[in-house]
Amino acid sequence: MSELDTGASRQGAGEIARLLSYVALLAVSVGLFLEARAMPTSRFEILGAGAFPMIVHGCLSLLLVVSIIGALRRIPAAAYAGFGAAAATWLREKRLVLVLFACLALYVAAMPVIGYPVATLLFLIVVQVTLAPKTRGAIATAIVLSLVFSFGLNWLFAEVFNVFLPRGH
Amino acid sequence: MEAFLLGASEVLSPVTLAMMLAGAIAGIIAAAIPGFTVTMAIVLTLPLTFTMDPLQGISVMLSVYVGGYTGGLISAALLGIPGTPSSVATTFDAFPMARNGEPGRALSLGVWASFFGTIISTLVLIVAAPPLAIFAVRLGPWEYFSLIVFALTIVASLVGNSLQRGLIAALIGLAISTVGADPIMGRPRFDMGWELLAAGLPFLVVLIGIFAISQLASEVEDAEAIKRGEKLIDGEIEFKTWEVMREVLMRPVNLIRSSMVGVAIGALPGAGGSIANLVAYDQAKRASKTPEAFGKGTPDGVVASEAGNSATAGGGLIPLISLGIPGSAVDAILMASLMVHGISVGPRLIMDNADLVYGMFLAMAVSSLMMLVVCVLSMRAFLRVAEVPKWVVVPVVLVCCVVGSFALNNRVTDLYLLAAVGLLGYALRALDYPLAPLVLGVILGPIAETNLRRALMTDPDWSLFLTRPVSLIFLVAAVLSVAWAIRGILKSRSQARSGKEPT
Repeated sequence: MSELDTGASRQGAGEIARLLSYVALLAVSVGLFLEARAMPTSRFEILGAGAFPMIVHGCLSLLLVVSIIGALRRIPAAAYAGFGAAAATWLREKRLVLVLFACLALYVAAMPVIGYPVATLLFLIVVQVTLAPKTRGAIATAIVLSLVFSFGLNWLFAEVFNVFLPRGH
Repeated sequence: MEAFLLGASEVLSPVTLAMMLAGAIAGIIAAAIPGFTVTMAIVLTLPLTFTMDPLQGISVMLSVYVGGYTGGLISAALLGIPGTPSSVATTFDAFPMARNGEPGRALSLGVWASFFGTIISTLVLIVAAPPLAIFAVRLGPWEYFSLIVFALTIVASLVGNSLQRGLIAALIGLAISTVGADPIMGRPRFDMGWELLAAGLPFLVVLIGIFAISQLASEVEDAEAIKRGEKLIDGEIEFKTWEVMREVLMRPVNLIRSSMVGVAIGALPGAGGSIANLVAYDQAKRASKTPEAFGKGTPDGVVASEAGNSATAGGGLIPLISLGIPGSAVDAILMASLMVHGISVGPRLIMDNADLVYGMFLAMAVSSLMMLVVCVLSMRAFLRVAEVPKWVVVPVVLVCCVVGSFALNNRVTDLYLLAAVGLLGYALRALDYPLAPLVLGVILGPIAETNLRRALMTDPDWSLFLTRPVSLIFLVAAVLSVAWAIRGILKSRSQARSGKEPT
């Protein structure tokens, strides 16, 4: 496949991804619009708690419908066939981003259990070693920085600012 | 005159000056770290001022305040992450300028614009505090709602590649702001019974998640480059102090207009720097002969944003000094520090404690000078941040974001929201949705809703939005602003079309 074809196929995949985002957002927006509509109004005011969200989600839904129609008219039928492969390539290229988000999710989930210093130490060592060039200097730097920003920062906040970061169970 | 000299002698005493210097440095460093804000730095400073004299204490806090408004620009320019909410617009041009190989110039422009913005706002504070304050507090919910409608039209300047996606992003921001207890009656909304959504989505957590986490994630997209130890920015580490000062001064209209926007918005209770930088940027872009250069690293964008946000420092003091009404969270803490020393803040402040008020004016000017000196002397050290490899910066700044988000409310659940919002931000960025309109929606949503409902609770007559003169002025300005934006879009489309036609 030529570079031009790859570019066009990526552009088509991008358009399809955006179309999917419009559809997902529309589903959420319509759901929230209906929930806002069901909110009771107060006797103290004309507009209730649901009025402003209804205005927002009404406008958002309308705009999304227009965007979906526009995208459907713009995307050539042939582009849908290559979407799966383009998405898989994109995910493969962005593997470090996925690793980063996975580590972040584990880090914030573990923090209340094992506490800030240990969770941060592990997070920093794992992420830095994953991203860094595999040299002795880089690994040593990663370990020192991990200690400073985990136990060091925890000490600074507790002793100087009287702010206590999660200590764990 | 006697009161002025008395205030000046206290502010200019060596001990006060030394403490103010420490305050300015602390403010700059705190705001430069993504996730840490000016408010947080001021809160942490407050207990340290209890043992000081009132003027000495407030001078130190003002130096943290002024330093903090400038510090936000460091991470905005070097990392593309606004250090504070007031430096969101700074990322639009300072970051591209730094990426284009001029990180020193980007920082220098921001520092000088901040300095002049603070000085202009102090001058306005001295001259126009009482009349401006009286005008600001006379605005009712109708005027506030119309002002927010006008502010929402800024979206047109922030939409990036697609107007449609810009509007969608702004509406997503407004929708995010409706999650949690409603602002008037406290009725729970859209929390799905989850405790972590019951208090709503804190604005700062959304800001850090949307801008910082998504920006950091995008820095590791290129696996090969990061493994090679690629730095954040490659370019000239040159501050060009005096050359850039001239460059800033050569833009007097932009500088004064942006500072005035900052003062006016700072004087309005509840608004503040987070809106001022965006409005100032929008006005600069609309007035520019080359609006297409904005967002690509134009000096005008950096000057507008930084002068606008720094000028809110003086603007915020206007209602505080004249009427005892704090315009923002930071002003409320400044007020609390005066009250701790038994000074009642209100319309009589200037009569009963003239030396204190004059001292505050002087402290503002001295603080901005100190900020300038600290920045000029230490900016080389800050610029070294740009030389640190990405594999170090990304995880360490992520930890700073996590700590900052936790320290805001001491809630672990905020960290789950941070990770989720970060992922949403990255997805939106990857799909080419502009993120600035979303943040604008989150800032303006609660103010718009509160004032719309308050206005109609006071009087159910909708026509008041059109019959109250100031409200009408804001609405007309909003219509003109939209018309101007549509004209710009049509013009650029016709230019693009004529460019495509064969000659």
